[in-house]
Amino acid sequence: MVEFLNGTLTLFGDPTAVMLFGLGLIGGMLFGAIPGVNMLTLGAVLLPFTINMEPNHAVMLFSVIYCAGVFGGAITAILFNIPGAPENAPTCFDGYPMTVQGKSGKAIGAAVSCSAIGGVASAVVMMAATPLIAGWAVRAFGPQEIFALIFFGLAVSASVGAETLWKGWLSVFAGLMIATIGTDPVGGVPRFNGGSLMGFEFSSYYLSAGIHFIPMILGFFAVSEVFVQAMSIAEGKRKRPKANLEFPSLLEFWSVRFTMLRSMFLGFFAGILPGIGATLAAFLGYSQAVRWSKTPERFGKGELAGVVASETANNSATGAAMIPLLALGLPGGALTAMIMGIFQIHGMEPGPLIFINSSDLVWVTFAAMFWANLCIVALGWLQTKTVVHILNVPFRWLAPGILLLATIGAFALRNLTIDVWVMFLAGAIGFFLRRTGYSAAGIVLGLILGKLGESAFAKSMQLMDYDFLGFFSRPIAAFLLVAAVLTVASSIWNEVRGHKLQKALMD
Amino acid sequence: MINKKKAAGLAIGTLLLSATSLSLSAAELLEKPAGFGVRPLTMIVPFGAGGGSDQLARSMAKAMEEVAGLNFQVVNKPGGGGTAAIPDFMLSPGDGYTVMEHIDNAISAYAKGDIRENPAEDWTPLCMTQITFSQIYIRGDEDRFTDWDSFLAFVKANPGQASMANLGKVGSMELVVMSQLQNALDMKVKQIAFDKPAERYGALIGGHVDVLFEQPGDVRSFLDSGQMKPILTFLDERPDVFADTPTHKEVGADFEALTRFRGFYVKRDVPKDRTEFLAAACKAGFDTEGFQAFNEKKFMNLINSYRDTSGSVKLINEAVQTYRTVYKELGIGK
Repeated sequence: MVEFLNGTLTLFGDPTAVMLFGLGLIGGMLFGAIPGVNMLTLGAVLLPFTINMEPNHAVMLFSVIYCAGVFGGAITAILFNIPGAPENAPTCFDGYPMTVQGKSGKAIGAAVSCSAIGGVASAVVMMAATPLIAGWAVRAFGPQEIFALIFFGLAVSASVGAETLWKGWLSVFAGLMIATIGTDPVGGVPRFNGGSLMGFEFSSYYLSAGIHFIPMILGFFAVSEVFVQAMSIAEGKRKRPKANLEFPSLLEFWSVRFTMLRSMFLGFFAGILPGIGATLAAFLGYSQAVRWSKTPERFGKGELAGVVASETANNSATGAAMIPLLALGLPGGALTAMIMGIFQIHGMEPGPLIFINSSDLVWVTFAAMFWANLCIVALGWLQTKTVVHILNVPFRWLAPGILLLATIGAFALRNLTIDVWVMFLAGAIGFFLRRTGYSAAGIVLGLILGKLGESAFAKSMQLMDYDFLGFFSRPIAAFLLVAAVLTVASSIWNEVRGHKLQKALMD
Repeated sequence: MINKKKAAGLAIGTLLLSATSLSLSAAELLEKPAGFGVRPLTMIVPFGAGGGSDQLARSMAKAMEEVAGLNFQVVNKPGGGGTAAIPDFMLSPGDGYTVMEHIDNAISAYAKGDIRENPAEDWTPLCMTQITFSQIYIRGDEDRFTDWDSFLAFVKANPGQASMANLGKVGSMELVVMSQLQNALDMKVKQIAFDKPAERYGALIGGHVDVLFEQPGDVRSFLDSGQMKPILTFLDERPDVFADTPTHKEVGADFEALTRFRGFYVKRDVPKDRTEFLAAACKAGFDTEGFQAFNEKKFMNLINSYRDTSGSVKLINEAVQTYRTVYKELGIGK
């Protein structure tokens, strides 16, 4: 506590530090909110300048950018169905439907508050227990546990946004199959990147990069939405979504308290584990919110808890990602790797000794992350009151802008044209998908969890000499796998019984 | 160690300062071929931002800007283990404005038949700027074994139990070197395929695997903090920095270990004067203080890390030969 106060005083007693703090906050939010650029772009631009900064300032600046950047992408996800960054992708699932229903203010308000709450909570845990937690988490969670965690997430994906459970599972399996296109994560063997189709031979190096979930999301959600809206304009049926400035009420927050706590917890774990990070955190937070909800059928159609789950989880992963970085020198993602770079440029090494050798720096950073998350609430409230007015722009002007931003966003991801093609193809497919009751969100969940899950499964099997039962000799993995199987069984049971009940009522 | 690194940091700082302040006069710059280098060049990096290849490409771009007044736009095109970027490179006009960074993965992929392009013939290598060797690492606080001899004894006492975090790509430099070592010493270590570096390091530190296969520059921070330590070096002789670690030849494995190398290429049809100019710029860039400091930080100064165009072609052709021989023995590839 004393250290935290000292850190805060150092931070706000130094005009340069305050200035950088403000710049990082606004810069991170702006770069996070504009598709095509993200906080990594800002980080890469700023990295060379950190050489002339004091290490305290540089590390503090980047951690503030990290906090603000993860939040920034939520705004475009909610207003236009375009996630500013991968970790905001699940925010689209319910955020955009809320906008269509004229509840954009509530959605953004929830995103702002939950980002802040998730971020503050993980900053607090980080301050309390970094050295302890880091060592424990890296030891306790091996590939087996990570696979079980992903499998648990997959078990509920089928109930997101589909008409029936069966259509939901078909959507998820389609996603899982798309995940196998490209290069396999173990042997580097090319899969489905060549062959012959109706006598036409093809092979593609591009396809060896695989199908990424971001262009799929942009296609399914942003592009197909433009088609849908255009059609309703042509039919003369379109009603412009009302720009709404209403912040969620305290009662509404109270009703999602468990979702928030669960996402905090999940986000925290996903953040600590190297190579998992904020994106999976958001997806897992979302799928578990569906799992435990009393009204899972409302997810994907504008459920406040969906936005809450995803935004709480991704921000709580940011604080957590600093833990293995500082305590073990293990950066979990690209931005934490840049922070690692700053340490090295200044001749310091993150690792067990940093709390002794550079405790000032550590505490200024902790304090900065804590206050940055609190500032997000204030800035976000301001944004809610202003950005929402974009919705008043006529759709015929907005539509080309959305398509342009989506195209930039898809290309900028890996600078590969295939991603742009995938996006437009997914846009066309998404247009028809919506009319058939299958779930675009289910496909995306299948795709991302499938890729990560396959990699974790393969590593686990190699470690266990290909003995599947080995999962059950590890308590955490066994618990998660059993829970997942029970979840699937109970959802099938409910679906079958539900139909019988309906039939009985109809008779 | 700390002081040395501070010096390296300062040196990089000085480089950036001098590069940004444009303190060099035009006379000191390499002379460009007529009509070339007037607009920014594109540097394709076939891996993600922040990784080893990306850091090298950005550092070299800075150095070449300093010595030749060239401006580079670094573009990351990750995917498919470095193959997804190749079509964009091949489709670019052969005017020398597109340079690609690539690593020895491209050579093993060609030897195996995964890609059609021969890096020594279809592309012109401008230079190699990082050549490094591999090592085997254990946890700093490991107590079941502390050096190569005790590790070998552990492996033999627990057959099939010891596990190594490694890359899994069939026919990769990593797996080829390990299969050569295991054949030579009649030992068996489980190879666990990890695709992301952070996961690999986390798996060792978290105790999910027993040893790690890696190049020293990538794990330098773990070595300095004592979280990891090397037990075997894949090199003919011990480098000074790792004087206490035996080489694979000393422990009785007699084979030429493949190295990791990173360099820069242009397409084959680029005019000769432009290729030669870019190659000269690469050499001059390699010699800058800033780039040298960068390479030293990555342990790339322990063996000769530079090859010119003909040296690169030789290095590539030899590597292709080695890979093909080993693939035949192992029964992989086409």
